[in-house]
Amino acid sequence: MSFVTLKVDEGIAERGQHTYITDSTSPVLPVCNVRTIPGDMTERGCAFAGCRGVVGGPVKDVIHLVHGPIGCSFYTWGSRRNLSDNPLHRRYCWSTDTQEKDIVFGGEKKLCQAILESAALFPEANAVFVYATCPTALIGDDLDAVAKRASRAIVKPVHAFNAPGFCGVSQSKGHHIANTYIFEHIVGTRELEDPTPYDVNLIGEYNIDGDLWVLKPLLEDMGLRIITAFTGNADYDSLCKMHCAKLNIVHCQRSATYIADLVRDKYHIPYLPVTMFGIEETSNSLREVAAFFGLQERAEAVITRELARIEPELNFYREKLSDKRAMVYVGAPRVWHWIPVLYELGMEVVAGATTFGHEDDYQKINRRAHDGVLIIDNPNELELEEVIAEYRPDIFLTGLKEKYLSMKMGVPSINSHSYEDGPYAGFTGLLNFARDIYKAIYSPVWKFVEGGSDRG
Amino acid sequence: MAEPAQRAVVINPAKICQPIGAMYATLGINQAVPLVQGSQGCSTYVRYQFNRHFREPVNIAVTSFHEDAAVFGGRKNLIEGLYNLVLRYRPRVIGVVTTCSSETIGDDIETFVKEARKEIGRGLGEDILAQVSIVPIHTPSYAGSHVKGYDTASKAYLEYLAAPGQPNGRLNIIPGIINPGDIEEIKHLVREMGVDPLVIFDISDTLNAPMRLPKPLYPEGGTTAEELKDCANSQGTVALCRHAGGSGAQYLLRKFNLPAVLGPLPVGVANTDTFLENVQKITGAVIPPSVERERGILLDHMADTSQYTVMRRAAIFGDPDIVSAVTRVVCELGMEPVVVLSGTASKDFTAEVAGVTAEYGVTPDILSGSDLFAFEQLARERKAEVILGHSKGVDMAKDMRVPLVRVGFPVYDRVGLFRRPIVGYRGTLELMDRIINSILDFAYPEDKLHQ
Repeated sequence: MSFVTLKVDEGIAERGQHTYITDSTSPVLPVCNVRTIPGDMTERGCAFAGCRGVVGGPVKDVIHLVHGPIGCSFYTWGSRRNLSDNPLHRRYCWSTDTQEKDIVFGGEKKLCQAILESAALFPEANAVFVYATCPTALIGDDLDAVAKRASRAIVKPVHAFNAPGFCGVSQSKGHHIANTYIFEHIVGTRELEDPTPYDVNLIGEYNIDGDLWVLKPLLEDMGLRIITAFTGNADYDSLCKMHCAKLNIVHCQRSATYIADLVRDKYHIPYLPVTMFGIEETSNSLREVAAFFGLQERAEAVITRELARIEPELNFYREKLSDKRAMVYVGAPRVWHWIPVLYELGMEVVAGATTFGHEDDYQKINRRAHDGVLIIDNPNELELEEVIAEYRPDIFLTGLKEKYLSMKMGVPSINSHSYEDGPYAGFTGLLNFARDIYKAIYSPVWKFVEGGSDRG
Repeated sequence: MAEPAQRAVVINPAKICQPIGAMYATLGINQAVPLVQGSQGCSTYVRYQFNRHFREPVNIAVTSFHEDAAVFGGRKNLIEGLYNLVLRYRPRVIGVVTTCSSETIGDDIETFVKEARKEIGRGLGEDILAQVSIVPIHTPSYAGSHVKGYDTASKAYLEYLAAPGQPNGRLNIIPGIINPGDIEEIKHLVREMGVDPLVIFDISDTLNAPMRLPKPLYPEGGTTAEELKDCANSQGTVALCRHAGGSGAQYLLRKFNLPAVLGPLPVGVANTDTFLENVQKITGAVIPPSVERERGILLDHMADTSQYTVMRRAAIFGDPDIVSAVTRVVCELGMEPVVVLSGTASKDFTAEVAGVTAEYGVTPDILSGSDLFAFEQLARERKAEVILGHSKGVDMAKDMRVPLVRVGFPVYDRVGLFRRPIVGYRGTLELMDRIINSILDFAYPEDKLHQ
C-alpha cells in the first residue's frame, strides 16, 4: 500500500502525497514540512506561535514582550498550559500594541520605551524576551538593535526573537529560530558553580499540565540533577548554564533536537532521544539514561516502585480500553510517542496525523505503528471530517479545535495538546491519560446519540 | 477621573485585534466562511478563541502567508485561496478578512477578488460562481480592536449585499459581540411584540449547534445571503451595540433611509425599556402584557435581594457597549461602580458611562482604551468587592479575593454562559442572580442567609 487520496482531495493535486497507509514491507514517507495550500482550513499555526508560544513562552522569570498588534499578545497569554511555579509567568501579558502610526513611522522607539517601562514595573523579572510579529518585521524594525540598547539601560539581558508569523511553513520554523537564538545568545553565558557528575538537561519538555513535575522526580530518584528543562518551568539563569550538563535528554524531538545538536557540536555533550510516555517507553528511557551514568540499579528500583504503584489501577483501564480504536492527531512527536502507549493499553490505532511533522517524524511513526494505519500530513478540517466519518474511532486524541469537530460527529475526544486533567507523561501521567480516555469513551452521553453506538 | 495609562507597554490587554471581530460577524451568516488573508496564526489563534468560548467547531480558512507573500504581496494566495475554498466548501458567502500583514503590504483586495471570480467562473463554472458572494473586509490589526472589526464587517456586508426591493415588514437587529443566548432573548422580545426580527449575523444557531448525526458540513441557521440582501427592505435597524454594528445600521439609514437606533445594549431595566420603546417607535407595535410581566418579575427579585447588592463596590471591564450597559445595571441594583474600563478606546464610552453614573450620584474611575494592569491597580485602591468581566479577570480576582462574575468574550473557564442571556428583563435577572450568588458564595456568612 502507499499513498491514498481522500475524497475531499480529488481535484487538489497538491494534497496527493500527504496521505498514506502504513506498510512495513514497503514504507513510504509523505510530502511534509511544505506549505499549506491557500484557502485551506488548516490546523497549523505560525512561526510566531512556535517561537513565543512553544519554546520561548515557558521560560518563567522573564518578561515576554510581543512587538506587534494586540492580537498576537492576547492569543499567547496563558493559552498553552505550560505551567510554572512563578507567579510572574502566566499572569501577565506584555505588548507594544502596534498602531498605524508605528507602522508608518517605525516602532523601534516605542519598543525601547516598552522594554524600559516593563523592566521598571517588574523588577523581579530576570530578562526580557522580545518577539517580532508579521507587521513589525515587514516594516523592518530592528529588534536586535533595540534589544542591545535597552539591555544597557536596564542592566539585564534583553533578547530579540525574530520569528514573524509568515516565516517558514508552520510553527516548526519558530521552534527552530528560538532554539538557535537561545543557543547563540544565552547558553554558555554563565557557569554552574557546583557541577556534579550527574548533571543533565531535559530538553524539549515544556511542562504541559505538569509533565515536568512528574518526570523530574524519576530522574532525581535515580541520582541525577536537572540543571534546566528546555524550557518548561525554566528560569533564565539555568538556561545560561545548559552547557554544563553531562548529558542532554531530549523529549520533544521535533521542537528541540536543534539545540541538542548545537550543544553537542560546540560543547561535546552527547544527547539521548527518549520517549517518556507509557510504561515500556518510559522504563526503557530511564534505563538508557541510567546506563550512561552507571546508575542501572537505581533506575530499576525507581521503575519497580512506580510499576507497583500504578499497576492495580491501570489494570482497570486496560480492561476497559482493550480493543478500542483510536485516532491520534497532534503536533508531531506525540503521535509517535503515543502510538506504543495506546498499544500498551490494548487499544488499536486506526489513523494518525501530524500538523508539522518532518520526515524523521514519519520515519518514527512508520517504525512504531502497525500496518494498515492511515497517516495524514498536515490535515485540514475537511480531511479530518472525512476520516472521522469513515473510521468512526472510539476516541480521537487531538487538539481543542479538532476536539469539538469530533464531538459534533459523535466521536469522543480529549484535548491532547494541553490535556484534560494531566500530566500525561511518565508513570503517573499514564494513569491520567488512561483515565481521561476512559472518561471520554464511557460517558453515558453516547448512548443517546442518534446513529452513534453505545461505546461502553 | 483617571486618564488611560500613559505607557508605551500594554500589560494585560482587554481587547483583541480587528480580524477576530470580522470573523465573529461572518460566523453568524448561513453557509459562510471567513477567509483570512494573512499568516496561519491569524486563523488558528482565532479559531481557538471561538472553540474555547463556545465549545463548538468553527470553520475559518486562511491564505497562509509565507515569505514570498511578504515580499511580493498576497495576490496569488488570495486567488488560489478563494478558488480552493469554493472548490471544497461551496460557501454561499466568503468574508475576505484582511490582517496587519496584508494591509501593511498594501494588497489590492478588491482587484484580487475580481480576478479570483474570473478564475472560479472559468474553472468551476458560472453557476457555481453565481452562488457565492465574496465580501472584502478591511481589518488591519494595528488599528482599533475586535469591536471595530465587527463594526467594519457589519458595514462591508451590507454595502455588498443589501439591495432594495419590496418592504418585508421585518425589523433588523445587529447584535454585536454578544452571545447566542442574548440573540435568542432579543428575538423572543421582538416576537412577543408581534414583529419579525431579521437578525444580521445571527450566531444563535451556528455557534450553539446540536449533536445530531450525520453532522452537516455547515451548522444550521445563521442569516442567509437572501436575508442580507433583503435587510434593505426592513422597517428599520437596531444596532444593539453602538460600537459593534452601529456602522451597519447607519449605512442602511443613509443608503435606504431605514430608521436606525444605535444602542444602548438592553441590559437592565432602563435599557430594556428603551429598547422596547425603540422597537415600538420604528414598528408601531405595542409592548404586550407578557413582556410587562417579565419586567415585573425582574423588579420583584431586585426588591427581594437588594440587601445583598446596595452599596457593594463593583469593578467592570470589557467591550464598551457591554460595559456601559452593565454599569447601568450595577447602578440599578444600588451597587457602586468604582472602576469601569473599556479595553477599546472610545470617547462615546466615557461620556456614556459618566452620564449613567451621574444619574446615580456615583463617581467611578472611567478608563477608555486602557489595560487590565491599570484597571487592577484602581480596583485595589478603591476596594472593589466584585469584578465583572471576561475570563482574563480571573487572576486578579483570585489575588484580590473577590468574585469574578463572568460577562463578555471570551469566557472559557466556566461552561454554558454563552447560552444564557444578559439582555432583556429575563437576561438581566440571570445576570443579577449571577452577581448575587457569586457574592453569597464568596463572602457571606452562612448564618445571615437563614431567613
